[in-house]
Amino acid sequence: MSTLSSTERTAKRHMGINTSRRISNTAAYTVLILISIIWLVPFVFIVLQSFRVESTWQVGYVIPQKWGLDNYANLFKTDFPRWYLNTFIAAVATAVLQTVIVLCMSYTLSRFRFKMRKPLMRFMLILGMFPGMLTMIILYRVLKDLGMTQANAVPGLILVYIASSGMGYYVSKGFFDTIPKSLDEAARVDGATRFQVLKKIILPLSKPIVIYTILTAFMGPWGDFVFARYISFGTSSGMNVAVGLYNWLNRDQIANNYTMFCAGGVLVAVPVTLLFMCLQRYYVEGVTGGAVKG
Amino acid sequence: MANVKLTDVKKIYDKNVVAVHDFNLEIKDKEFVVFVGPSGCGKSTTLRMIAGLEDISEGTVEIDGEVVNDLQPKDRDIAMVFQNYALYPHMTVYDNIAFSLRLKKVPEDEVYEKVTNAANVLGITEYLMRKPRALSGGQRQRVAIGRAMVRNAKVFLMDEPLSNLDAKLRNQMRAEIILLRQKLDTTFVYVTHDQTEAMTLGDRIVIMQNGYIEQVGTPMEVFEMPTNLFVAEFIGAPKMNTFKTKLIEEGGKYYVTPFGSKIEVNGIKGDMLRERNVKSQNIILGVRPEHISLAENGGEDTIPCTLEVNEMMGSELHLHVVTEDGSHLIVRTPTVDLDADARRELVYGKKLNITFEGKVMHFFGEEDNRNLLV
Ligand SMILES: Nc1ncnc2c1ncn2[C@@H]1O[C@H](COP(=O)(O)OP(=O)(O)OP(=O)(O)O)[C@@H](O)[C@H]1O
Ligand SMILES: [Mg+2]
Repeated sequence: MSTLSSTERTAKRHMGINTSRRISNTAAYTVLILISIIWLVPFVFIVLQSFRVESTWQVGYVIPQKWGLDNYANLFKTDFPRWYLNTFIAAVATAVLQTVIVLCMSYTLSRFRFKMRKPLMRFMLILGMFPGMLTMIILYRVLKDLGMTQANAVPGLILVYIASSGMGYYVSKGFFDTIPKSLDEAARVDGATRFQVLKKIILPLSKPIVIYTILTAFMGPWGDFVFARYISFGTSSGMNVAVGLYNWLNRDQIANNYTMFCAGGVLVAVPVTLLFMCLQRYYVEGVTGGAVKG
Repeated sequence: MANVKLTDVKKIYDKNVVAVHDFNLEIKDKEFVVFVGPSGCGKSTTLRMIAGLEDISEGTVEIDGEVVNDLQPKDRDIAMVFQNYALYPHMTVYDNIAFSLRLKKVPEDEVYEKVTNAANVLGITEYLMRKPRALSGGQRQRVAIGRAMVRNAKVFLMDEPLSNLDAKLRNQMRAEIILLRQKLDTTFVYVTHDQTEAMTLGDRIVIMQNGYIEQVGTPMEVFEMPTNLFVAEFIGAPKMNTFKTKLIEEGGKYYVTPFGSKIEVNGIKGDMLRERNVKSQNIILGVRPEHISLAENGGEDTIPCTLEVNEMMGSELHLHVVTEDGSHLIVRTPTVDLDADARRELVYGKKLNITFEGKVMHFFGEEDNRNLLV
């Protein structure tokens, strides 16, 4: 009797846990679904606009009456391909160079012991607190003297993007620090140079962080507006997509370009979306993985 | 296949921590040298300086006659086994062992031959395709040794390779290291804090304390002639009994007077004292537990004491006894020496008389703790 009642009690408690869990799950999912709908609306809206052909101006409804690819085709009659290419070159070059710099920097700060190491890290931390915009005017002057503004903005931009990338070492250094030093030592005794240790031991063990570094390095230039606008300084052939598309929203241009703007926006999102979808698994691991990996 | 010579080697860590003081040692070709000492005495630091993983603050390290102070580890032609194994977690066992060979651009068929060979010797063939994560501690240790084996390096360094294993596996691996040593036939430097490992493995043992070498010698030498009290207590298990007493010279004979007894120093130790013309003085007397025996009857040369703990170790008994003035001693008696009745009587509170012979005593200066006979 007593055993029966005790099992009953346990069963009841289990049911209690299950029901309350179900309720809280339902609540959580409802909220999450609502949030994602709110979040998705602008995207859906833009995608729908980009396929609308009956009017290039804003209309009072969401679903297009006539569908077509006219907006996309028209993009290619403008400077848009040029902007797209500019952005792509800047982003890819930055992604490659910045990743190399950041990873080397992190490895150095994580593994080497030299005199000014601590002061250097502190100095970079403080330097990083100043907004990059502060340097904009002087950067423009310097780049102009070097002939890297306006039509030649892309190399100038790449220079700006990667210039301070060594300061973004925190995350990857933190991750490298969790990899036991004796692995380095074993590899060095096995005949590896410092660089081979980085390439063959540290990086393969830090895949998530490498992906994270590449992604952030790519995203920065891909979405940059302020520097790109300033350094291209009104010259269309030196603009990136963000700057170029923004110009279409001028009071006198917007009526003709609104749907094309939407099409451009969709195309801008494509590579980033693809990149994220391919690397998503690693990216999530990369942001959270550092804490638990031994 | 090389000798290693350390001359006045010193290691100063930043903040002026001196971890190793004036370390002088010549390790001969194909010798197996063991560094042993308590935690923090600088064994690993010395080993890592030989490996090139730690800068040498002062002095020189030579391998095969060449000063290697400024050579990177990869250029020193050494192999090393780490305490925590340090296997590359993202590689299979095969790739772990092959790592050094591939760096040297050894042709892949030769790599295959060497890796499978090493795996055979170590009995890890069936794990070659596994990642280290899926191995037990003992298996990982074998992989770590395999990784060092295929190197064919001039010097083989091991830093407490067995300390993460359980007692049984440790004994087994210790035996395997002895076999391995015979197969590889190269110079070994082995670090441990376990005196049993040191005694069983080493051709020579280097006993260290606080960054200083206390004694260098064969296992027999350090066991029979410890240069000072520290070595005497460190080598041998259970540890040597030591107590303050007097050494008295009377008409050409020497006596010690522990706990009110008077025991003649006979045999070789007596001769040595006479030869060196040692004066009567206060000393610290050392007697190993296995050299103390139970006396039948009380007498001038016996010490009365009371049994506290009787540890049955199988082939021998460890008797923890207390003398009348409260000093604790350990007596080690072979079980076969006692008949069943005598054994049964050895319980808490039993009164015993113990004695020992002069020829097995060790005499240390009261002030400097140095062996009077060295
Ligand atoms: N990086 C370091 N910085 C400062 N002091 C250090 C450093 N590494 C070791 N030491 C000190 O040097 C001394 C010797 O250390 P070492 O690691 O050689 O000891 P060990 O004999 O190997 O001890 P264990 O048996 O515990 O491994 C210790 O006192 C230690 O605190
Ligand atoms: Mg150590």
